[in-house]
Amino acid sequence: MGWLDYVWLGILAVFQGPEMFSLFGIGISVTLVMILMGFLLGIAVGSTPGLAGPMAMAIALPILISIFGFTPDALLPVMGFLLGIMKGATIGGAVPAILFNTPGTPDAYMTTLDGYPMTRRGEAKKALRVAHFSSASGDTFSDIVLILCAPFLAVVVERYLDLPEKAALLILSLAFIAAVISNSVGKGLISLGLGLLAAYVGTGEDFYPRLSLDTQVLAQGFPVAAVVLGVLIVGEVFCRLEDIRRDRRLKSSSGDIVQAKATRLSGAELRGLMPYIGRSAIIGTAIGALPGIGSTLAATLGYASAQRRYRRSGKTPKMGDGAPEGIAATEAANSSVSGANLIPVLSLGIPGNAAAVFLILAAETIGGFNPGPSVFRQMGDAVNPEMVIAFGLFTCMMIANLLNWTIGGVFMRSMGFMSRIPKHVLLPVVLLLTLTSIYVQETRMAAIWFTVAFGILGYAMRRLGISPLPFVIAFILGGNLEQTARQAFAATGCDPLFLVSSAVSILFMALTASIIVLSLKRPKEAPE
Amino acid sequence: MGRFNRANLALGLGVAILGLMIATIWVSMDTASGLIEKVRRQVTIGDALAPTAAAMFLVVGGLLVAAFDRDDTAYRVSVGNLAFVTSLLILLFVSLALMRWAGPLAAVFAEGGYRPLRDTAPWKYIGFSLGGTALVAGLICFVERRLSWRAIWVALVATLALILVYDLPFDDLLLPPNGDV
Repeated sequence: MGWLDYVWLGILAVFQGPEMFSLFGIGISVTLVMILMGFLLGIAVGSTPGLAGPMAMAIALPILISIFGFTPDALLPVMGFLLGIMKGATIGGAVPAILFNTPGTPDAYMTTLDGYPMTRRGEAKKALRVAHFSSASGDTFSDIVLILCAPFLAVVVERYLDLPEKAALLILSLAFIAAVISNSVGKGLISLGLGLLAAYVGTGEDFYPRLSLDTQVLAQGFPVAAVVLGVLIVGEVFCRLEDIRRDRRLKSSSGDIVQAKATRLSGAELRGLMPYIGRSAIIGTAIGALPGIGSTLAATLGYASAQRRYRRSGKTPKMGDGAPEGIAATEAANSSVSGANLIPVLSLGIPGNAAAVFLILAAETIGGFNPGPSVFRQMGDAVNPEMVIAFGLFTCMMIANLLNWTIGGVFMRSMGFMSRIPKHVLLPVVLLLTLTSIYVQETRMAAIWFTVAFGILGYAMRRLGISPLPFVIAFILGGNLEQTARQAFAATGCDPLFLVSSAVSILFMALTASIIVLSLKRPKEAPE
Repeated sequence: MGRFNRANLALGLGVAILGLMIATIWVSMDTASGLIEKVRRQVTIGDALAPTAAAMFLVVGGLLVAAFDRDDTAYRVSVGNLAFVTSLLILLFVSLALMRWAGPLAAVFAEGGYRPLRDTAPWKYIGFSLGGTALVAGLICFVERRLSWRAIWVALVATLALILVYDLPFDDLLLPPNGDV
């Protein structure tokens, strides 16, 4: 079986999977329908301040698993839906930023700088068209890089890294995430330590489940969904509710949008935007490929780079006063992070952001697909089903891109009304939805209490300036790290120095130490 | 470069002490094997090693925060934050208690109690409807700082929508608290 055979099998798995209905005698596979539904839902969610793609992915997952079950046939429809949400939410985020000066997510803040002034000038639709074109371009570019790089990187990892090196690579990745994700490497390590500790409760190889305090509740360990959703979603809901209560920002966005000027983008205008989009797409993809660095940094760097170029051109209006180039640079940069963020997931099994966490969670829950270097392992004449799924996922992403280019813009421009839903009404509903979705998975009230407890932990971490993402990534990778370390220890003949037993693992551990030391010397930025 | 900050110092030292206590008390007393185990001349990694390493991350992280973080990374938990969390927890506790016990209380005089009825309408919806409505309406009113009919209507509609999404299409899914009772 060659690589092209797997590409073809992946495409067939998407198009010839279980049929949902027939259109003019042609069977339409359930995966295609799920990608479309996820994509439209993603745009709606992204357009709603207070909601975000990962929130929708978290809530949708148990419903999807209830519908499709735990069979390998469920993988592509479920993950196609989640990928659709991820991509839809990426373009939807620009809508409230442009129409109402409300960045739904931090990475959309830069879009407000030029988007809202354009709206005030009566060019809202044109601004939305610029955002859509740039976002779709950045996203597509990023996906192409993912498809080309992930299999190559996975093959290199699988061929050249043995167990000690893999353990060292996991430690390096965790240290990198802890160092770069927050403004303080110390706080990143605290988040990491807490996540690992939570992962080790109720597990282990002994008969007695460790750290269980001899109780039945802890002996089963913490439910993955309760921990991840508690810290990421419930903690965020608590924080936002408190902010709204404190600021009394109860009024929903209001004000009619006046559309006074031309809405079309001419060919010349598009050509003028291309250098900004191209540069930002490269910046966003490079940043996205590194685990833990978010789209906010990509948007900021993309905008700053565009600002320098724009200033030299001497055009008007100035960037920040309603220049389409500002929107193009920001949207291309933050959208090109999403595809590249899956490079460490598919090649190393390391989730780099919250959306990737939910994709891994889906794969782990359903079974039959373990993201990591073994996915791209050639098995001679036999078929590696995981590689078929991986190329099926790439096909799903390209179909979502096609939808983005065709219907995405129209649907996005019709979603302005979503920005008017008041956050303080929406967030309690999101909380109930999250708790209910966890209960239907776990069917025990203890899971709800765990979720609330981890929600409080997530709230406290945010209030103390500790990013919750290293916690979640460490929680997910904790078991894998321990398992790899145990195997590496055994494979090296119980060498206690197995982490520095080869040149490559020494290099990884030296990089780990360097990252932490350099992060301590890094000038601190103002917190977001 | 900012100045040393007492909030960072307190957080860092507090976490470092917590990490040490976890490693020396909790992990050592609550794991069956040590850091390294020798079984039939074979040396293996024990169950205590990974959690001890996790606790060491807390110690190192805490010390780094205490020693290197300056004013510009300092965050404090205020009395207002504690008051908010306490109120929130009371609200959640009341709502979830209502969710857990309203059904069984309503069925206290029914033959056999709640358990045989837990998959039968309307019994199976009592706890979720009351608890869910209390949770959503309570939170909206809490944030708005006033009672409103709109909050109750929104909560009722949201709860009903969740019943429609989770319960009606799927026979195998159980709404809270029907898996526990």
